[in-house]
Amino acid sequence: MSVARYRRQDKSGYIFLLPWFIGMLFTIIPFFASLYLAFTDYNLLNPPEWVGLDNVREMLADDRLMQSLKVTVIYTVVSVPLSLAAALGVAMLLQHGIRGLPVYRAVFYLPSLLGSSVAVVILWRYLFGVDGVINKGLALVGITGPAWTTDPSHALTTLIILHIWTFGSPMVIFLAGLRQIPAAYYEAASVDGAGPWRRFISVTLPLLSPIIFFNLVQALIASLQTFTQGFVMSGGTGGPADSTLFYNLYLYLRGFTQFDMGYASAMAWVLFVLIAMLTAVNFLAARYWVFYDD
Amino acid sequence: MMDRRAALRAAGLAAAGLGVLSACGRGFGGGGDDAPDGEVVLNMVWWGDNTRAQRTAAALEIFQNRNPGITVRTEYQDSAPYKDKLATRFAAGDPPDLMAMRMDSLREYADRGALLELNGLNLDGLGESARTLATVGDKTYGVPSGLNAIGFVVNRTLTDRFGVKIPDGDAWSWDDLGTFAREVTEAAGRKVYGTGFDLFTLANLFVWTRQRGEDFFTAQGTLGITAGTVQAWFALAQTMRDQGGMPPAGFMDEAGASAAQSYIASGKLASQIIPTNNFLSYNAASGGNLALLRMPGETQGVRRGQSIDTPALWSIAAQSKHPQEALRLLDFLVNDPEASKATGTTRGVPPNQQVAASIKAGLEKDDQVATDYLIGLQGETLPRSFVYPPGGSAIASALETIATEVEFTRQTAAEGAAAFITEAQKALQK
Amino acid sequence: MTTNRIRHIGLCLAGALMMYPLLWMLSSSLKPGATVFTQPGLWPASWDLTNYPDGWTALEHPFSLYLANSFVIVILSIIGNLVSCSLAAYGFARLRFTGRRLFFALMLGTMMLPGHVLLVPQYVVFAKLGWLNTYYPLLVPNFLATNAFYIFLMVQFMRALPTELDDAARIDGCGPFRTFWKIIMPLSLPAFATTAIFTFISVWNEFFGPLLYLTDSELYTVPLALRQFMDSEGQSQWGQMFAMSFVSLAPVIGFFIAGQKYLVKGIATTGLK
Repeated sequence: MSVARYRRQDKSGYIFLLPWFIGMLFTIIPFFASLYLAFTDYNLLNPPEWVGLDNVREMLADDRLMQSLKVTVIYTVVSVPLSLAAALGVAMLLQHGIRGLPVYRAVFYLPSLLGSSVAVVILWRYLFGVDGVINKGLALVGITGPAWTTDPSHALTTLIILHIWTFGSPMVIFLAGLRQIPAAYYEAASVDGAGPWRRFISVTLPLLSPIIFFNLVQALIASLQTFTQGFVMSGGTGGPADSTLFYNLYLYLRGFTQFDMGYASAMAWVLFVLIAMLTAVNFLAARYWVFYDD
Repeated sequence: MMDRRAALRAAGLAAAGLGVLSACGRGFGGGGDDAPDGEVVLNMVWWGDNTRAQRTAAALEIFQNRNPGITVRTEYQDSAPYKDKLATRFAAGDPPDLMAMRMDSLREYADRGALLELNGLNLDGLGESARTLATVGDKTYGVPSGLNAIGFVVNRTLTDRFGVKIPDGDAWSWDDLGTFAREVTEAAGRKVYGTGFDLFTLANLFVWTRQRGEDFFTAQGTLGITAGTVQAWFALAQTMRDQGGMPPAGFMDEAGASAAQSYIASGKLASQIIPTNNFLSYNAASGGNLALLRMPGETQGVRRGQSIDTPALWSIAAQSKHPQEALRLLDFLVNDPEASKATGTTRGVPPNQQVAASIKAGLEKDDQVATDYLIGLQGETLPRSFVYPPGGSAIASALETIATEVEFTRQTAAEGAAAFITEAQKALQK
Repeated sequence: MTTNRIRHIGLCLAGALMMYPLLWMLSSSLKPGATVFTQPGLWPASWDLTNYPDGWTALEHPFSLYLANSFVIVILSIIGNLVSCSLAAYGFARLRFTGRRLFFALMLGTMMLPGHVLLVPQYVVFAKLGWLNTYYPLLVPNFLATNAFYIFLMVQFMRALPTELDDAARIDGCGPFRTFWKIIMPLSLPAFATTAIFTFISVWNEFFGPLLYLTDSELYTVPLALRQFMDSEGQSQWGQMFAMSFVSLAPVIGFFIAGQKYLVKGIATTGLK
């Protein structure tokens, strides 16, 4: 209660938010434009025509849309927890007490720096080709590797592996978050006789929870909107046989390849609603496991 | 006195600083489209690499010297992001004046009134098939930037090594291809496969369809291909895979691949289908001993299957502020030998036959091979190919999915063919 | 001691896996263009150092111009994101005012709509403002806190700081601005470093925005230039493309190595006074 006394209404908040308010103008106009387009038939070249809920109705009967939802959900459910766990684990290792830390940090962040330039795409083909480096390595130990990128049963797995491999961004955030934890807490825990695992559970996890929460929310939003990975690996088609047809990739194909921007906008807003609901659930659940000091 | 290292470092810093400073001046002015009084600025966009850019720039140089008062500003990148940018610019009412246009996008734009009718352009020098490539009804919305066809390349180094005789490229049948491919694979002990091509590349299927007396897309823009033809196409490949002539499912990975990355270049395939305008780069990447053959089945089918195509059309935006100047530039690119002398065959064989004949002698040897191939085809009576109807890209996408499922035997050839016809009809009805 | 050695060995092995792409790019850039695909091994069978000087001058402008352009955009974007996002984040994290929750939800919401459907309307807005073929569409939004990711990131970091800090400052008579400047900002250094590093990487690699809005090749950024080296239809200069790709990675790696020491300068090192 004593804290609440100081928490009076603070009008200066609006001043801090001023740039953001102005920025919202830039954001909100395209937002409303696309919301309007979601209810139209719009081929990008002629003026949009109002069709009400026709686009949503078409979505309900669209097999490719269902396939794209399936791909996106599988990808998210598998790769988000794994990549966050890898990021936190490596961040703990790279925290302190070992020589050459800056070098290790840079090295582990490397895959995330590469982006998806042409050179990197060529590298993937070279690594994951039927007789690429990985399969040649597997052959040495007597395993016949699959067609990583061209077999519909394996292409998505390959993308998930690649995604986990680029855990650098959440790792950097965890590294920064770990340093926010006052050393005094660890010292106190040690004095109480807590071992490393105990310290991790009772000090690190709760105090890092706002950052874990951030990474989780962020990874979910980003993963459900995955586009580049699917686009790059399949040459923009979502293939083989739609096995890497992410929701956003299908949206892009409808909007820009099939000139169906009304439908694409409707798809975008459906995804928006899904992500918003998921994020809201996340925030509600956070009350039970995320600890703020306010 | 500064020591040398410090001096070098200082010089490096100063240079970097200067670079950044001068960069600060750029990019913050008003819009860059202001032209001096009375000057016309044409915006021309296309896809390609910097080799093509240098050749194009050389042609534009000539044009601008001859037409003082017209400046041409070009933009190019590789083909991957091209269509998104073009569609966005059209949608926002800011289209380029002259642009490279994909065959499968032409009607998407033309049907919606976004392209200028080119009936004012002199196309007398073009052959019938080239002139009508981008004709919708009686209106022309695009001119081929160059001509190509598809052809079969065979690596003679490999066939010599394995002692396999290459069939007569002007008269071979699909059965001959099957036999040839099987022999190579067997002789090579499966280290090299006889042939390999994508079943879902439309240009390949077009040839097969025409040889069976059908049109993939008809003149009316409907679907002409029948389920039986699709099924036979899938079955053809299945047989070759079973016999070993074609590599197993999943081997082919040609999405967006270039000559240098192809299997024929790495020596894992002895033959492959390529667009003829890329013959030079494929031959260079494969060791320089490729033979260029016609497609199989040309003499056995109901009618000829090959056609004259283009890697890209030139189109002009209906909204162009300078249609006259854009037409003049297009006329120069198509009909002036000087233009083609500068660009060479970077976009294919010049569509104007006199121009093509006049520049042939100056071309590199491999480009001459491809040009002869095209000139030969143009002299023959070939069935006309019709423009892709809107919905064509959805059909291409359905074919890719279904062909892959058939390849991995998730569907039979018959099921795949039936599914494809259903999907394609659905795409065209929209 | 032994556990430490095991840790080193484990890290080195994993590190080799992480390094592989970079080494492969370096090696490809040192091979004659035609052998990149025919001899794809890590150690070049024949060496070709000319890819670097040739690639540097292969395009319409020297590569230094594209590097300089990218630097200008990146540096300004970092400044813009740091200033505008940290202000907004402080407002959201530490101040109480009507509408805060609603605005916060709106802010998060801007991350949730797929960007492809915004391209056309955004292009129209920037065209109306006369900003085509300038850097403004790439820069101005960064000065206006339109990157919800960074705001949210900083909010989470600031909320993790003990509130006693603000209360103490308030008792000492500090207003919100002084509290932000003197207390919250120094303690949020890791969040600032993270934002700067991420901004550097994402802006440095950004392709589609510059592709849409820049038309003069004189204004091109590095990713645009890199995509002028090759096309599937041409006989492209692969070695040069790899060389310049490698050159363009150097600043990102350098920036990370320089910036990462601030990542780990949190409360734990600066201490609570």
